[in-house]
Amino acid sequence: MATATATLAASVRSRRPAWAAFRKAVTRTPGRLAGLIIIVFFVLMGICGPWFYGRLAVDPNALYAPPSAKHWLGTDFAGSDVLQEVVTGARYVLATAALSALFTSLFGVTIGLVAGYQRGLTDSVLMRLTDFVLTIPGLPLLILLSTVWSFGSPWEMGLVLGITGWGGVARAVRAQALSLRERGFLEAARGLGLSRRHIIVKEMLPNIAPYATMQLMLSMIAFVGAEVGLFFLGLVPFSSTNWGVMLNQAVFSGGAMETPAALIYLLAPLVCILLLTLGIVLFLDAIDELFNPRLRERA
Amino acid sequence: MSRPKPLVAAIAVATIAATALSACSSSSAKKSNGGGGGGTGGVFTSIDANNKITAGAPMNPFNAAPNMFLGYNEMQMGFSKYDPSDPNAMLPGLAASWTSSDAGLTVQLQPNAKWSDGTPVTVADIKTSLAIAYTQGTAGPVASAGGTVVAGSNFEVSDVKDLGGGKIEIDQQPGVKNLYFQRLVLSAYIVSDKVYGSQLPADIWSQIAAVQGSDQSAAGAAATKLSAEGKTIAAFAPAKDVSAGPFVETRVNPGEALLDRNQYFYAANKISPKQVILRSYSGNQQIWGYMNGGELDYAPYTSMPTNILNQVLGAGYTRMDAPSYVSASIAFNEKQAPYNLTPVRQALAYVIDRDAVTKVGEPVGGIAAPTTTGLVGSQSDTILSGDQKAALNPYKPDPAKATSLLQGAGFTKDSSGKWHLPGGAPWTITLQTVNGFSDWIAASTIVANELTAFGIPTTAAITADFATYQKEMAAGKYAVGWWLVALGPQTDKAYARIYGSADGFSVSNGQATYNDSAPTNWEHTPQTYTVNGQSINPGQLAAQLSVTPVADQQPIIAQLAAATNQELPMIQIWNYTHVMFTLDKRFTNFPKTGQDDLLNNPPGVWMMQGYVQGK
Repeated sequence: MATATATLAASVRSRRPAWAAFRKAVTRTPGRLAGLIIIVFFVLMGICGPWFYGRLAVDPNALYAPPSAKHWLGTDFAGSDVLQEVVTGARYVLATAALSALFTSLFGVTIGLVAGYQRGLTDSVLMRLTDFVLTIPGLPLLILLSTVWSFGSPWEMGLVLGITGWGGVARAVRAQALSLRERGFLEAARGLGLSRRHIIVKEMLPNIAPYATMQLMLSMIAFVGAEVGLFFLGLVPFSSTNWGVMLNQAVFSGGAMETPAALIYLLAPLVCILLLTLGIVLFLDAIDELFNPRLRERA
Repeated sequence: MSRPKPLVAAIAVATIAATALSACSSSSAKKSNGGGGGGTGGVFTSIDANNKITAGAPMNPFNAAPNMFLGYNEMQMGFSKYDPSDPNAMLPGLAASWTSSDAGLTVQLQPNAKWSDGTPVTVADIKTSLAIAYTQGTAGPVASAGGTVVAGSNFEVSDVKDLGGGKIEIDQQPGVKNLYFQRLVLSAYIVSDKVYGSQLPADIWSQIAAVQGSDQSAAGAAATKLSAEGKTIAAFAPAKDVSAGPFVETRVNPGEALLDRNQYFYAANKISPKQVILRSYSGNQQIWGYMNGGELDYAPYTSMPTNILNQVLGAGYTRMDAPSYVSASIAFNEKQAPYNLTPVRQALAYVIDRDAVTKVGEPVGGIAAPTTTGLVGSQSDTILSGDQKAALNPYKPDPAKATSLLQGAGFTKDSSGKWHLPGGAPWTITLQTVNGFSDWIAASTIVANELTAFGIPTTAAITADFATYQKEMAAGKYAVGWWLVALGPQTDKAYARIYGSADGFSVSNGQATYNDSAPTNWEHTPQTYTVNGQSINPGQLAAQLSVTPVADQQPIIAQLAAATNQELPMIQIWNYTHVMFTLDKRFTNFPKTGQDDLLNNPPGVWMMQGYVQGK
């Protein structure tokens, strides 16, 4: 029985080598490749950036200095190098967004799959829980929690954003799961007496994975905007340099909207956010094709 | 689908704020700012940095966040000149003149002092207002019921008598000798008895007499009643503003408060603007924006970088400076090791470059503190002798001295250059500051950098809001954090910021008692210091200041300054300067730098004296 199921699944999953399909999908248009390069660039920036820099140096004699050979993007309110801040600040932003997206996907996919497959009482309980999460006002909750947490670690903010953000994913995955459970291969799996856990994890999850991956990347865009927005508006305290903090200090302390002195300090993180968003959107096009057989066939 | 609620909400908040701002700007832009004089000076536009406009708040000065604006529609009998050599020096308000005696104060009300409804200001108004002060904890023993009384902060009126002809006798409670009785009484808020009298019980003065009496039980019961009545008064929302000031509030919306000239004001002929608009704001950058557009006739100082200062000056504003008597400092909780060690605090003072920190944190409105004495530089310079000043340690940046002090205290440095506590544990510092305090946040960046470079990894941590900061600081949660000292020109109050309730000292009638486990004690300094071979009790010295005339305070202040400089319960980083701006475009005849008595008061007070005339 197990052999029959494995063959069934393999026939769906292994029509062509995964790497070749990925390469073809990514290289089909220059935009997709550019998207991947941008994402890899920022991921490397987040991982390796701080390795290249030591402590953030300050220079009270060079406040808001213009770009120069020494400071390619000029300096900030403390005479610190803006480029260094952009690079070292990427880790917090990306880690928080990744963790938020991970929590969202983890909770949303698990609850959606179980609810959709089980139906009945389990479905009702899980969907009421989902409804409850959908009603949690994320912003006020973050402001409230900021009195307890400093959000100095990406884990804290990632957890809060993720916990309040999975409701929509759960509902969408449940809808997909309801559709999937009526398909023939799942009927067969049930007929073969496979365990519930096996069916959900081994049969349904792979079919949901492309959708979940798309959601994960889309939610990263949203979470980058959310966290940066919170820091920018000063709604949560901060104890580390990141892009949101840079925006906040450029506008509210440096007068970037009134004088050009702090303009680069403002624009540098904005451009990074814009590029990152662009990269994800461009790359999603490739992912969409990779996981959507109809698109693949048309191409 | 994911549901990015925080993002949506954040965008919504930003959109609403932008809409409100644009609405506010457009509404104001429609109003004429034409010139004139003697009530024809057009619209005077400003902001009130001390009292933000609060949507829905009552026009009641006793509310915690009222829509009332000092000097415009919120009146006092006098306005403090903030003169450190004579804290009782006042500018006239509703009182035209006054004479002080040991028994109290005799006040001559302004002839023709009237409320905006045309009725005269009478002794009943003064009596009601001073009774309300008791209910608000700003007067007498009621304040001490909260455990935070500082002598000189509260006045003790026992009776108010009508001597006829606008002359009023205000008696000080027998047996109480408050050096600052005159200033405290004259600067109490005066409100209309017709409006507020009904909010007070008929036996209010009996309750006050009971509070002042010797029967402790009756005093306690009366204090409780007064406190409860105070809450009713604070929540009271008058249907309309009845003001004895130069202006009366006509309308308040979230964007601005509109005040019209009070035709019954006793010196209405001196008041040039027909209207005052006080703009709402949510942050410094909004005020910078108003100034860049030349929209404010007067702007109080808000923390700004030099690029904004230059832009504001370029827009035509004139800068005026006055003493501020406030100092930003880094304070220690000595209950948390290693900050209980004097050499540690001294070493940190040698590491922190106050000039550099000030340049980043408060480049326009701050002067690097020349040394730590507990007073701002202009105060200590005036009071201390040359020898006493020379004996103070300025703690100029000197890493070698810091190293020597730490090594002497048993600290060690590892091969990577990081310091370890005497027990061997790594030493790290969390420097606490407050969200929204942009100067403290910016300064923390530099301090953290300097300390980290010296080998003590330091992080600047930010508390969500000032109320939480104060609460957590009082609970002893922070080992190192920012703190304001030298609040005001009155030296006893300045030292009470260090050796007062925040340090376990409770002051009454010039005597201090010490309790290290007092709930508000977060400093936990020793009760006594040994300075120049002599043991002194700083709390007791600070308490003595409150009952010592200014002319006799020098020896006490010399001891306190030397002790504070040696022991450094906090390191003064910069002394604030009271910087403000005026625009000579629609109005002229503003006070100038040097007129400290006026400049330390809001423009409404200037107008009462005949300043600010339409062009």
